[in-house]
Amino acid sequence: MRILKNFRQALRGLRINRGNTLLMTIGVMIGIASLTVIVAIGFGIKVKVLNRIANMGFGPESFSVMAGAGKMFFSRSKNTTSMSLQDAEDLLALPTVRLVVPRQRKRMQIINKKEFTNTRVYGVTPDWQRARGWHVSDGVFLSDSDLDRKRKVVVLGATPVRKIFKDEDPIGKMVRLQNNFYVVIGVLLEKGLTESGYDPDDRALIPLTTSMARLTRETHLHSIKVVTLDASQVPETMEAVKHVLRRNHNLSILSEDDFRFVTPEGIMEWVTESAQAMNRMLILISTVSLLVGGVVIMNILLVSIRERVREIGIRRSFGARKLDITLQFLFESVLVSLLGGILGIGLGLSICYGLQRFDILPTQVTAEPFVLSFVFCTLIGLIFGIHPARKAALMSPEESIRS
Amino acid sequence: MSLLEMNSICKSYRNIGFETQVLKNITLHINEGDYVSIIGPSGSGKSTLMAIAGCLSQPTSGEYILDGEEVAKLSDGKLSRVRNEKIGFVFQAFHLLPGVTALDNVILPLVYSRKTPSDIKERAREVLAKVGLEHRLHHTPGQLSGGEQQRVTIARSLINNSPIILADEPTGNLDSKNGIATMKTFDKLVKEGKTIVLITHDTEVAEHADRIISIRDGEIASDTKPQPSKL
Repeated sequence: MRILKNFRQALRGLRINRGNTLLMTIGVMIGIASLTVIVAIGFGIKVKVLNRIANMGFGPESFSVMAGAGKMFFSRSKNTTSMSLQDAEDLLALPTVRLVVPRQRKRMQIINKKEFTNTRVYGVTPDWQRARGWHVSDGVFLSDSDLDRKRKVVVLGATPVRKIFKDEDPIGKMVRLQNNFYVVIGVLLEKGLTESGYDPDDRALIPLTTSMARLTRETHLHSIKVVTLDASQVPETMEAVKHVLRRNHNLSILSEDDFRFVTPEGIMEWVTESAQAMNRMLILISTVSLLVGGVVIMNILLVSIRERVREIGIRRSFGARKLDITLQFLFESVLVSLLGGILGIGLGLSICYGLQRFDILPTQVTAEPFVLSFVFCTLIGLIFGIHPARKAALMSPEESIRS
Repeated sequence: MSLLEMNSICKSYRNIGFETQVLKNITLHINEGDYVSIIGPSGSGKSTLMAIAGCLSQPTSGEYILDGEEVAKLSDGKLSRVRNEKIGFVFQAFHLLPGVTALDNVILPLVYSRKTPSDIKERAREVLAKVGLEHRLHHTPGQLSGGEQQRVTIARSLINNSPIILADEPTGNLDSKNGIATMKTFDKLVKEGKTIVLITHDTEVAEHADRIISIRDGEIASDTKPQPSKL
C-alpha cells in the first residue's frame, strides 16, 4: 500500500519535472535503441550467412570455388575476371571429380506484363540439376541445346511464379529480364522456407551461355561447384583444383590465390567463430551504451534532487520516512529507465526497418532485445537510482525545509 | 497533563571543531488547547526550537515528551510517524508542492499516514471548504494568490486531525488583510480545541495568543500572559 502510494508520488514527480524526465528518457532511449539495432544487425548477418549456406545446397561430397581472393562469402576483390569456362572443363577432367557446375549470379527484376518481383537469376548448365538433385514440377529443365544455342529460356522457382503469374499457368509464357524476353520452360519443385527463414524457391535459372551474352555480359564465371565421387576425396580434390586454377590463371609462386574455397566444414567453423566474436563485441557495445544511459540518469537525478530539496523537506515534515523518499526517487529512476527502454525499442525497431528497407544492412528482429532491455532498464534504474535516492532521503528535514 | 513537554532541552551544532550552542536548557510545557506565541529576534533560536518541537530535528540533550511519548530519541521512521500524526505545519513560504493541485497538496499528509481513510478526497474538500477554498480545488499553487496559498497550507495542517499546529511566521509573506484573515482562522481553530504554537518576530501577531514566550540567545527570557482585555 505504502509502495503504491510512493509509486503514485513518483509518477507525479516525473510529470511535474518534465524537462528532467525528458532528458533522462532520451539518455536511456539512445542506449536501448543502439542495443536493439546492434542485436538485430547481429542476427541479421547470422541469418544471411545461414541463408547463403542453405543456398549452396551442399552435400558432404561437394564444395564451391568462388572467384576472387578472400575468405568464405567475403571477397576482397569484387571484379575478379580470371575464372573461365575453360577452368570448369579442366576441373571436370580431374579423376576424382564427378560433376562441375559453372555459374553466374545476378539479382534483378523479373517481369510479367505489369507484375514484377526481385529474384536471384543464375546462369547455369544442365549439370546444375544433377548436382542439386532438384527436379521440375512442371515443364522441362534447361537442356544442352538451350546452352549451345544461347536460347532465351528460363526455369522459374515457385516463389517468382506465385508472385508474377498468380494462378496463371506460366509454361510457354514470356517474362522479361532487363531488355530481353525469355520463355518459361519449366518450374522447379517447391521446397518451402528453410528453418532460418531462407526461401530456396526464390530463384530463376537461365542457360549460362545466355547469361554471359545477354544478362551479365561477362565471360568469366562467378563460381564453380565441384562434386567429387566420394566425400573422402574432398581434401585431395581441393588440392588438385587449386593446382589447376593457379596454373590456368598464370599465378606465380609468390602471388596469392585469386579464388577461394567454400566448404560445408569451412562454413560451419567460420560461422561459429564469427558468431562468438560478434557476441563478444555486442555485449561490449551494449554494456557501454547502457552504462552511459545509467550515468546520465544518475547525474540528472542528482541535479534534480538539488532542485527539489524543498519538496523533499515538505514531504518529510508531513510524515514521509527516509524509506518513502528513497522509494519515490527509486521509482522515478526505474520508471524513467523503463519508459526510455520502451521508446528506445521503438526507435531501434524503426532504425532496423530503415536499414533493411534501404538495403544498408541485414537486420533480424528477435525477442532478445525486448527481454534484455526490460532487464537492463530495471537494473539501470535501480543501480543508478539508489545513490541519488539515498542522498535525497538522508538530507536533514530541518535543513531541507529551510532551503 | 501537558500535551507538549520539554525538559532541559539543549541543541548545539558542530562546525569543524567549533560548537555553537543554539538552545540552552529550555524547559517548556504547553497544554492541550493552548494558544502560544514564541517570539524572538532572528538568531535567537526560535526556529531551532520549532524544528525540535515539530520533530524535524532532535535535541542534543534533554527530554521532549509529545502527547505522552518520549520523542527525543526516536528512530527516523517513528519520528516521521509522530510528525505525520501529531503535527500540522504552516510555513511562512507556504511550502506547497509546485505544479500539484490544491486538493492533492492537502492530501499529502494522508499519503504518508499509516491508516488511509477511504474518503480522502471528501475530507480534503471538507477542510478546503473550511478555509473558504471550495472553488479552488484544482488550482495549482502558481494559480493561487498568496492568501489562498496560505489557506491551502492551513487546510493541509488540518487534514490529519493533528492536535498541534506549528505555524512558522504564518503572516510573514502576506499583506495585512490576508494576515488578519489568517490570524482569524487560527482564533477559530483554537476555539475548536486545537493547540497552536505560533513562531513570529512580530509582537502584534504574537498578541493574538493567550501566552507569549520570548526567546533570547537560546533561553526563555519571559513567559507572560497578555492583558485579558484582549479576550
